[in-house]
Amino acid sequence: MGKQTTGQPLVASNGWRWVGERGLRVETGAMTLAYYNLLISKNLTDVEDIIPADGSLLLILRRTARVSPEVRAALSAPLDVAQTAVKGKRHEIVVDYGGAAGPDLPALAKRAGMSVAAYIDCHAATEYTVAFLGFQPGFPYLQGLPPTLQAARRASPRQQVAAGSVAIGGRYTGIYPTGGPGGWHVIGRTDTVLFDPQRAAPALLMPGDRVCFVPA
Amino acid sequence: MIEVLRAGLCDLVMDVGRPGRRMLGVPAGGAADPAALAAANRLVGNDAAAAGLEIALSGPRLQFPQGGVAALTGARFAARRSSGAPVAWNETLVLAAGEVLSLDRPESGCRCWLALRGGLAVPSVMGSRSTFLPSGFGGHGGRALQAGDVLHCGVPANEMKLLRVSPPAGEAEGDLRVVAGPQAGQFDDVGLAAFFGTPYRVDAASDRRGVRLAGTPVSHRRAELPSQGVLPGSVQIPPDGQPIILGWDGPVTGGYPVIAGVITADVPRLAQLKPGDAVRFVTIEVEAACELAAAQWTFKELA
Repeated sequence: MGKQTTGQPLVASNGWRWVGERGLRVETGAMTLAYYNLLISKNLTDVEDIIPADGSLLLILRRTARVSPEVRAALSAPLDVAQTAVKGKRHEIVVDYGGAAGPDLPALAKRAGMSVAAYIDCHAATEYTVAFLGFQPGFPYLQGLPPTLQAARRASPRQQVAAGSVAIGGRYTGIYPTGGPGGWHVIGRTDTVLFDPQRAAPALLMPGDRVCFVPA
Repeated sequence: MIEVLRAGLCDLVMDVGRPGRRMLGVPAGGAADPAALAAANRLVGNDAAAAGLEIALSGPRLQFPQGGVAALTGARFAARRSSGAPVAWNETLVLAAGEVLSLDRPESGCRCWLALRGGLAVPSVMGSRSTFLPSGFGGHGGRALQAGDVLHCGVPANEMKLLRVSPPAGEAEGDLRVVAGPQAGQFDDVGLAAFFGTPYRVDAASDRRGVRLAGTPVSHRRAELPSQGVLPGSVQIPPDGQPIILGWDGPVTGGYPVIAGVITADVPRLAQLKPGDAVRFVTIEVEAACELAAAQWTFKELA
């Protein structure tokens, strides 16, 4: 019995876009993680790494590698429906909302036409999914942010955002694992360690995981 | 063993980096010119993956209490040895017990690599000894060297030969060669003319995360887009239109349009850019970029 597939090859007629001569950017839409898992499972020898991002993957070829028939075949393979269900762990993250821990919360709530308490309730009432990690090691882009809470990034980034800061950036909410500059609106902070390079699994949250915020 | 008598501006323990972990948001990092560090390693009989020092803009003063075998590659710095022996670049150096190696400023360029026989024996973190400064892990305590630091060397991998090495010819000259980026089509003629037609200056805020450029703003139609995977050499255009060439410790994803990607063969040249340097871009085809990436360093035994 043949496997059920979406019938949709990853790379359609328009192909990929180059990012340098080692990077292949392919559009993956809502199936990004499923395609990531499919491509990783093929252990492509010419591919050094694959970055899942917001609706696209970047395949990074090894130095001097060309796009081999093996890579072409992998990119044109249809997705098995069984591979599209990516079910991760569920995490509860305790957050100290507002005050010094969340300096942008009052302005964001005002812009959303909500009280601070209602904004917190809404942020904490949602179950988010980790779409991908980026920006910093272990930084989760959490999808599922209610549209009323969404806000374009700050016009000028902060020089220093504290480690553990919970923030809003466009359609996403996220958590800064490490202190540093950042352009998202900071609404709270958690003591949870999101990234520890000494752990066997350095990133606490992995793509596909689900996250709920619990007010402290 | 090395004792740091005086630290340089930013001396970092580096090896080949930690590729394969970008899904965790961890860039590959590693030596900004991996071929230069690999060459220095070979000059001291190490495996290519051994850890050495990456030294930028202003070098350290290092003592070798038990002596040792060292090699320097990359930008030539004003340098001296307490023994009075010359500090040759691109060849094996034998240091006497107690000798002090002082590196001052680069004669041209920005970075050099120092390999020591046995390699620097700092702990491996996530599969690499490379320092990742933005998150403070790897290398020597996750930071640049400081005066008073002591670093130990591991067990040499291979037999020693006195060698000299030459970098690939024509490496450091001319415009930076790029392949058109995934969002090149979003830029209008004015933006593209600025990017490809005018010189940019390297800004002082540049580091291993990115080379920031200042010059004619590159206008574009859309300021932000969905975050996409990026890699060292990706040239992002933020809303102010001043290009940023992502570096070795830059983020693995970015939300600004990528107008171009510096070819692999020219990424090591980014390591030699310093504030005030002029940069121009020229496009080449992917196939030509692949051929250029295959250039090799050549070794010769010293009689």
